[in-house]
Amino acid sequence: MSAAGIHIFGVRHLSPGGAWHLRATLDAIRPKVVLIEGLTDADVLIPDLTRSGTKPPVAILAYTDAVPVRTLIYPLATYSPEYQALVWAKQNRARAEFIDLPSDIFLGLQDVELERFIREREKAATTAEPPTPAWRPEPERSIYERIAERCGESDYDSYWERRFEHNQSPDSYRAAAYALGEALRDETDTPVWRAENLVREAFMRRRIREVLDGGVKPEHVVVVVGAFHAPVLGPELPAMTDAELATLRRRSSKLTLMPYSYFKLSSQSGYGAGNRAPAYFEQVWEQMSAGKLDELPHRYLSEVVRQLRAAGTHRSTAEVIEGVRLARTLAALNDGAAPTLADLQDAAVTLVGHGDRSTVALALQHVNVGTAIGTLPKGVVRTSIQEDFDRLMSRLKLEKYQKTVAEELTLDLRENRHVKTQEAAFLDLNRSTFFHRLRVLGVDFAKPLSSGQQAATWAERWKVQWSPEGEIALVEAVLLGETVELATAFRFKQLLEAATGIDAASDIVRDACLCELAKSMDMARAKLQELAAQSSDLKAIAHAASRLSLVTRYGDVRKFDPSPLLPLIDELFVQGALALHAAAACDNQAAKVLVVAIDELNRISLEHHERVDGELWIERLRKLSDADDRNPLLSGYACAVLLERGLMATEDLAREVSRRLSPGIPADLGAGWFEGLSMRNRGALLARQPLWQELAGYVQSLDDDQFKRAIVFLRRAFGGFAPHQKRQICENLAEHWGVDADAAKEALANPLTEVEEQTLTDLNEFNFDDI
Amino acid sequence: MAKKKSDDVEPTAPAAANPRGILRAPVEVLYAEELEQLIKTDTHARPPGWRMSPRAVATYISGGKAGTMTITPKYIGFRRLVEIAISTLVTDRSLLLLGEPGTAKSWLSEHLAAAINGDSTKVVQGTAGTTEEQIRYTWNYAMLIAHGPSPEAMIKSPIFRAMESGSLARFEEITRCAAEVQDALISLLSEKRISVPELLTEVPAAKGFSIIATANTRDRGVNDMSAALKRRFNMVILPTPATLETEVDIVRKRVQELGTNLELKAAPPAEEAVTQIVTIFRELRAGQTLDGKNKLKVPSGVLSTAEAISVLANGMALAGHFGTGEVTAHDLAAGLQGAVVKDEEKDKVVWQEYLSNVLKKRGADWRPLFTACSEHNS
Repeated sequence: MSAAGIHIFGVRHLSPGGAWHLRATLDAIRPKVVLIEGLTDADVLIPDLTRSGTKPPVAILAYTDAVPVRTLIYPLATYSPEYQALVWAKQNRARAEFIDLPSDIFLGLQDVELERFIREREKAATTAEPPTPAWRPEPERSIYERIAERCGESDYDSYWERRFEHNQSPDSYRAAAYALGEALRDETDTPVWRAENLVREAFMRRRIREVLDGGVKPEHVVVVVGAFHAPVLGPELPAMTDAELATLRRRSSKLTLMPYSYFKLSSQSGYGAGNRAPAYFEQVWEQMSAGKLDELPHRYLSEVVRQLRAAGTHRSTAEVIEGVRLARTLAALNDGAAPTLADLQDAAVTLVGHGDRSTVALALQHVNVGTAIGTLPKGVVRTSIQEDFDRLMSRLKLEKYQKTVAEELTLDLRENRHVKTQEAAFLDLNRSTFFHRLRVLGVDFAKPLSSGQQAATWAERWKVQWSPEGEIALVEAVLLGETVELATAFRFKQLLEAATGIDAASDIVRDACLCELAKSMDMARAKLQELAAQSSDLKAIAHAASRLSLVTRYGDVRKFDPSPLLPLIDELFVQGALALHAAAACDNQAAKVLVVAIDELNRISLEHHERVDGELWIERLRKLSDADDRNPLLSGYACAVLLERGLMATEDLAREVSRRLSPGIPADLGAGWFEGLSMRNRGALLARQPLWQELAGYVQSLDDDQFKRAIVFLRRAFGGFAPHQKRQICENLAEHWGVDADAAKEALANPLTEVEEQTLTDLNEFNFDDI
Repeated sequence: MAKKKSDDVEPTAPAAANPRGILRAPVEVLYAEELEQLIKTDTHARPPGWRMSPRAVATYISGGKAGTMTITPKYIGFRRLVEIAISTLVTDRSLLLLGEPGTAKSWLSEHLAAAINGDSTKVVQGTAGTTEEQIRYTWNYAMLIAHGPSPEAMIKSPIFRAMESGSLARFEEITRCAAEVQDALISLLSEKRISVPELLTEVPAAKGFSIIATANTRDRGVNDMSAALKRRFNMVILPTPATLETEVDIVRKRVQELGTNLELKAAPPAEEAVTQIVTIFRELRAGQTLDGKNKLKVPSGVLSTAEAISVLANGMALAGHFGTGEVTAHDLAAGLQGAVVKDEEKDKVVWQEYLSNVLKKRGADWRPLFTACSEHNS
C-alpha cells in the first residue's frame, strides 16, 4: 500500500515469507531509500550488520550506561525481513535507515513503565510477578490470539504460518499484512501498549517526513515496519513535533551488536514473532529462496528421523512418507495449502513417535530450534555485560585487582558497623556475591580458597587474578544475559535443566543462595523437590536435607530469607524417615554410608524440632532399633541415637543388649549390633553398668569358635575408643569377671606380640559371609 | 467386555430415545438425527466410501453446528487428536488408539465408525482366545461337508465384510490377542486383499476400507505388537481428562448412576468429597500436585477415572450398609487405601509420603480424610 507515493511494507519480525516477499517487492520497485523499523540511533551499526564477517543470528543491544541497567534487544536472523532489507540495500547501493525511537527514549519509556508497574503493584499489594528487565517491544499476545481464534486456528503461530508464510502469490503478503494491521488496530488492547505504539508511530512519521524533506521522491522510498504499524504511517496523520519529542524521558544509553543464538531466540517468550522454531523457519527461508517450498515436509520429517537414528532409534523411510501424507491431510482439513509446523510436529509424533511425544521430543527440539550461534567480526562488540562488569568492579573497589598477578583476598561477610554507608557496610558481602556469580558463569577471575572451618559462614578467602580467557568468557556470557546478574540467573536455569541428581540440585540451591539470586534459588528448590520426590535414595535425601539446613544458616549473614527452603526440608525429612527402614536392609559396606545419613537426619530433627515431624522420626528409629531383619549395625546405631536422646531407659537397654547378645545369635550379628551401638555417646555407655554386665555375660557364654568371630567385631567396635575409655571398659569388665583391673589394664597397654598380630590378621581375613 | 465398557468415560446421554427393549443401541441409532443433519448440511468433498466429509466427522465428534442444529460433543477436550485420527483414516491408513484403561478409546472408535459409515457394528473383540478365523473367515461345517467349499458355506469375519463393502472394521483390545493372530492382520493391511485358497480366489478391499484398533497401554508387554504390524498403524495416544473440572463432572455423574443402579442406600457423596478424591487420583497419577509445585512418587496402580468412581461407589455402599447413610472420610479411606496401595511394600511408603507431605498441609477441609487415611495406612 502506498500512502502519498511511499511504499509501506508491513511484516512480522522473523518471518521468512515476509523476507521473501519483501525482496521481491524491493527488486520490483528498486527504491533509493529503505526505511526500517529499528532504533534510529542504530544507523551507525548498519555497516557492521551487513559486513562480510557478520553471520546472523545477531542482535542490536541497547543498554543504559548507569544503574539501574535497562536493556533492549533487537534480534535479527537471516530470514528477518529487516535483515534482508539491509542486505538488499547494500547490494543495490540504496540508503538504509532505521526510523523507530532512539534507544535513549526507548529505555526511558521502559523506566516510566517499570515505575508505573511498581506503583500499581504497591497499590494492589498483590504478589504479581515482577517484570523481567529484558523488556520486549511487542505487546502481549492476547489480541493476536483473538484474531487466530476468529479464523478457527488454535494459536496465532499456526494462523500466521498458514495464511502468510505459505502464500507465494505476488504481493499477497503485503496486502494481507496491511489488512491484518488494520484489523489488529480495531481490537481492544492494553492501554499502555496502545499508548506506546502511538508514540512510536508519531516518531516514525516524523522520520519519514524528514527523509522526504531531504529531497527524496516518495516513490523511491520503501518503509519496512511491523504489520501493526503499516496502516498509520501515511502523511494524513500528524508527525511528532519537536516540543513533543522534548517531553519524552531519556536515559543515557549505549548501543552495540552482539552475537545471538537460535536457542536464545526460541526461549524469548512474549515477543510476537515467529521465533519459537528458528531453525525450522530458516529451513522455510532456504526452501523458499530456492523455490522448493513443497519439499519442506519431506525435509523436516526426514531430518527428525535422521536425528532419531543418530540417537539409536530406528525409523523407516516408509514412516516419513506416511508422515508427509498425514501432515498434508491435516493441513487440508484446515484449508491450508501446505502443512504448518504444528501439522508437521503432530505427524512426527503420530508416525515417527508412534503416538508418543516423548520419543521424538528431543529430535523435534533439535530440528525446530537448532544450535546456530551468530558471529561478528572482531572489535565490533562492546557488550553490556562488560560494561556491567566494569561498573561493578569500581563499585566494589576491586579495580586494583584487575591485573594478571594473582592476589589473595579475605572477605568478612558480616556487617561492618564502623562505616557510614550501607554500601560500605556490606562491601565484602557484595564482593563475595559478585565473585560467586562470576564463578557460576565460568568467568575465570576469582577462585575460592578453603577457609578455616570455624569461620565458615562469615569468612571467605579468594584468589583473584584477571586473564584474557576471563574476558572472553565474559563476552560470551552476554548470550546468557545482558548483565552479570541476568546472565548468572540464566546460567542457573541451564544448570537446573541439566541437573539429574539430588546432589547436583542441592549444590545449585547453595550456589544460588551464595549468588543471592532468590528466583534462581526458588527454581532450584523446585527442581530439588522434583528430583527428591522421585528418589528413595536415603543417602542422597539426607545429604540434601542437611545441605539445605546449612544454607538456611547462611541466611543471617547473607541477608536473604531462607523461609522458602524450610518446607522442603520438612518434606525431605519425611521422605528420609520413611525410606529408612527399607534402606536398612543392606550389607555392612552400605551401612557405613547410612550411618552418616541417619546422623544427618537426626541432626535436622533436633535443629528444626519445631518444624519437622519428629515423632515420625522417633517411631521409625524405634522400628529399626527393634528390627531383627535389618542390618544389625544400623539397628545398633538407631538404638544409640534413641539412647542419646534419652528415649530409652537403662532397663530397656539392658534387655535389648541381652536379647541381641544372647547365646545362639550368630556372633557377627550380635557384635555388629554392639558396634553400631558403640558408635555414639560413648561416655554415656560407659556409665551404664547393666550394659557391661550383659556384655561380660555374653563373652563368657561364647565357645571358642564363636569367640573368634565375635572378637573381630568387638575389636572394631572398641577400636575407636580413646585410651582412657578403654581403660574404663577394662575396669568395668574386669569387675564382672573378677579379674584384677590393674593387671588387665597393663596387658591391654602392651603392644601386641607377633603371634597375636598374625592371629588377628587371619581372623580379619576370615570370610564370615560363608556362615 | 462388559467391564471394559463400563470403564469408558462417556459424556452426556444421547439426545435421541433408546429403542425399547435394547439395553444399549449402537451409537448410529442413538445419534441418527445428528448424523442425518450433518450429512444434509455437509458441503465439503467426501472421500470414497464415506458418508460425510472429514470436517463433518470432526464436528460430529468434537461438537459444533450443523446448519441450525447444535451437535453435542462426543469426545471432549482434545480436538486436535480427533483431527489426527480422522486424517489417518482419510489417508487409508489404519488407526490405533492407545491409552490407559478408561480413556474412551472404544467410545471414540465407535463414534468414528458411526459417523464415517453409519455402521459401528463390525467389531472383532480381541481376547486371549481370539483365533485367526475370527479375523479372516470360517466355514459353516455342515454345508462344507455336504457340498464342499462354496461362497455360501463361508462365514465371513467383520473385517472380511468391511473389506468387501469398503467400510471400517473395529478391532477392540488388539494387544489381548496372541501374536500369531495379530500377525494375520499384516497381510490384510499391507496388501489390502484377502485370499481364499479353498475357493481359488482373492477378495480385494474396496476403497474406504480401514481398521480402527484399540489397545490398552497397561497391557504393554503382554502381547506386544510386532514392529511390522505397528508400522501399518498410525498411533494416537488418548490422554486422561485434561482438567479437574471435566473429571469431577464425569465422576459425579457416574457415581450417581451407579448409586441408582445398584440401589445403594446412601446419599451420593458431597461435591467436596468427589473433588477431593479426584484431586488425589489426578495428583498421584500425574506424579505432581495440581499446582505443579510438588513432585510426587507414583504408585504402581492404574488410578484411572473408573477407579475413582469405584472408590466413591464403594464408600456409598459402606455408608449405606454399615454407616449412617452419609459418606464419611472413613468410608472413603478404605477404598482409597485399596486403590492406591497395590504393592504392599512400595506403595505404602508412596501413599504415606503423599499423606504427610501433601494432604496434611492442605488445611481443615482435608483434615478428616487425612486422619482416616493415615489410620488405614499405619
